[in-house]
Amino acid sequence: MSWSLGEIEGLAKKATRGAGYSWGLAEEAGRATRWLCAMGLDGAAALAQVLAACDRAEPSMIRPARLAAPWAAPGGRLCPISAGATLCDLAETLAAGEVITLEDVIEPLLLYPFVAAAAEMTGTGLRLSYEGVTITRFERCSYLSAADPRRPLAALAEVARADSAPRGLPVRRAWRGHIEPGDAARLGAMAHRTYAPDTEASRLAGAGAGLTDND
Amino acid sequence: MTGQTMTATAEATQVPKRAPRDVMRLARLGSFHQSRLSFMRTLLRRLRAENWRFETRAFEIDARGTGHAIYTAHGPTHSYSLVAFAHDLPAHLRSDRVIATAWDATFTLFDGIPTEADIIRLARNVPKQEAGRISDRELSLSRANRSVRLWDYVVDCLAQGTQPDPARIHEVGYLMRTTAVYGSGKFGAADREQSAARDECRGPFQVEMLSVYLTRAFIMDLVEHMARTRSPDTAVPLAPALRRSFGIGNSTGLGMAPFLIHHPVLIHQWINARETALARIRSLPAAAPAEAAAFRDYAYRARRHAQDWTSEHPVQLAKLAELRADLDRLCDWLPEADLIHDRPWDRVFRWAEESCSLEGQEQIASLLLEPYGLLVDELTSTMSCEEQDCMRIQGAMPLAQLRALTEDIYDWALAIDWRAQDPRARVWYVSEAKLEPRLGQRFDEDLDDYEQPLCPGRDAARLHADLLRSDAATVAEFLLTHPQHRHIIRRVQITGDHPYAEIRDNTIDAGMMPIDMLRAKLSFFGACHFDPRSDRWLRITMFQHAPFPEELSEGNADDWTYPMLDGSTVDGATDAEDMA
Repeated sequence: MSWSLGEIEGLAKKATRGAGYSWGLAEEAGRATRWLCAMGLDGAAALAQVLAACDRAEPSMIRPARLAAPWAAPGGRLCPISAGATLCDLAETLAAGEVITLEDVIEPLLLYPFVAAAAEMTGTGLRLSYEGVTITRFERCSYLSAADPRRPLAALAEVARADSAPRGLPVRRAWRGHIEPGDAARLGAMAHRTYAPDTEASRLAGAGAGLTDND
Repeated sequence: MTGQTMTATAEATQVPKRAPRDVMRLARLGSFHQSRLSFMRTLLRRLRAENWRFETRAFEIDARGTGHAIYTAHGPTHSYSLVAFAHDLPAHLRSDRVIATAWDATFTLFDGIPTEADIIRLARNVPKQEAGRISDRELSLSRANRSVRLWDYVVDCLAQGTQPDPARIHEVGYLMRTTAVYGSGKFGAADREQSAARDECRGPFQVEMLSVYLTRAFIMDLVEHMARTRSPDTAVPLAPALRRSFGIGNSTGLGMAPFLIHHPVLIHQWINARETALARIRSLPAAAPAEAAAFRDYAYRARRHAQDWTSEHPVQLAKLAELRADLDRLCDWLPEADLIHDRPWDRVFRWAEESCSLEGQEQIASLLLEPYGLLVDELTSTMSCEEQDCMRIQGAMPLAQLRALTEDIYDWALAIDWRAQDPRARVWYVSEAKLEPRLGQRFDEDLDDYEQPLCPGRDAARLHADLLRSDAATVAEFLLTHPQHRHIIRRVQITGDHPYAEIRDNTIDAGMMPIDMLRAKLSFFGACHFDPRSDRWLRITMFQHAPFPEELSEGNADDWTYPMLDGSTVDGATDAEDMA
């Protein structure tokens, strides 16, 4: 089924919140998933994997323990949403040329939208490398070195400034996204956790019945 | 300093825009009025200026009133088609609530001209609304219900060959009201970014406004068609002036309220445009006699418009009484007021601030724009934005700066005692039934786990408490250990750059009125005659007295909101002439 990018962002945001992340990080996950889908990549599948692995995790166990590289999660595996948001928060550090390495990142492809955002914010080229894949943001265009850049886990990922013409092919923008039915169901189930059970009382009071609506 | 230099200095100084801490209060937002910058008016000015052409490509409606119609608008580079489905709805299924499952008519705005195959596909999906699925060829999805009070009456009159009583039309103002108009990306529709590069789609809600404008034309054709079908020998069409007095209604509920909080940069762009326009006009050193005369005329017309505004809601009734009194006083004062010299519009507005209610002040703010299209209409091009570019956290910001920003923007929230129950009495949540946003009572219902991030004041207070305890140097360092504040930090930083982005009031207070948020947004649409039906949903009228598509090239495309004083329509034809 063809999804609008807005639908994908909304589903990803709610699912991430449903998995126990803060609203602010859920917003980041929504935008990151949308960004990957707009690159023609299966961002929703990547997110579904991350949320399955990090469902209701203690936040401090899946995020970098400190800002000094290498980044590693106290719980063993890094969540790319938490780590990605932090990467983007350090956009100026990356633009200044600091290299950040990350250990044991789940679905490292999901780091890329944050790297790209940091590149946009600072007007610098940045590249993300892991497991034989390099994705570069250079002069407002994304370049992919592999046709399928998804990996379940990266033992080591690296983010660094890209000062010269990137490797790989430029990515064409997609206007619609695709979600496999199984992923849609898994994300949908997590999103559903953000909805309050419907009751007759809430239906009447919650939306404000007031005067008649049939005249 | 000599008197001469003082005058010169005063003239060179611009009147500043109003302060966000004054503008962004709920009571004031809930008193906003439409203006030249409103989206409906922007749309009709464009359709007229670019000579858009309109055609009814299909009207296949049977005697029971079921079938479909296609209304196509042709612009300079693209065509857009309203595909309308008319239904025979049993009365007991008619409801304006989002949780309804059937409607009198359903619509989509198709990007281009639909083929037969498109119509077949849309006929299977559009009538189901949220339960159906549309595609990236469609730009909107909407539905409308009849006004039970008027529909049968108007069909009966026309079938018998008589015109309906203007007084009865006046009581309602429309034959159908839309109960939801979904746009960008909803239920499979095209995302806004897919068409946002086109001139006619760039402005906010232009697609949705076009859809509603064509919907009004369809509804008027439908009512005449039903009369003709019932009694082909005696039926007459509506008299043109009377026809134009029908707007299209709309019922809007809580679902719209979160929009203002979810789109802070966009809201800033809208309000900044209006405040910039007001400041420009207040800064004018003098006015031409024709401009002064035009303002007087608009003031008298606005008084009449306020007299025509009906509501049963006690809060709105009180506000209407104040508005009418304000406009009476304005109109009494205007004949003797000097509107030519000595920064006349700043004096008018300061008079309003000193002597009028919020309703009156905001009405006068909008009225001041009316004579000055050349000065302010171009601001409509600043009312959209690339929201995504503004959503990124500035991690390098020193924590002390974030704290100073928080204290400046949310001083009102830091002054609230959040341990008390009233300031946090409400919870915004989404119900699993049709994903409808709702507002619950925190201390009566078990809803905390489902709370939506729609309470910036409380969140800012929580952030501030943690900022005071933190020794982190930068926002990035603080966020690593405080991810729960990421949402509100984004808002603080956005509002630092976009001062009208944030509502500076408590959106979960026991006394908060969601209709204030609805009205602020609807006023930018161009809606009039706000009629709250409770504290959380209201009805409005759109496009009332506007020329119909086929009249646009001849008629007045912009100056139709306020009624003309002599009872004539915007084209100068009076009801009496039309009815003869």
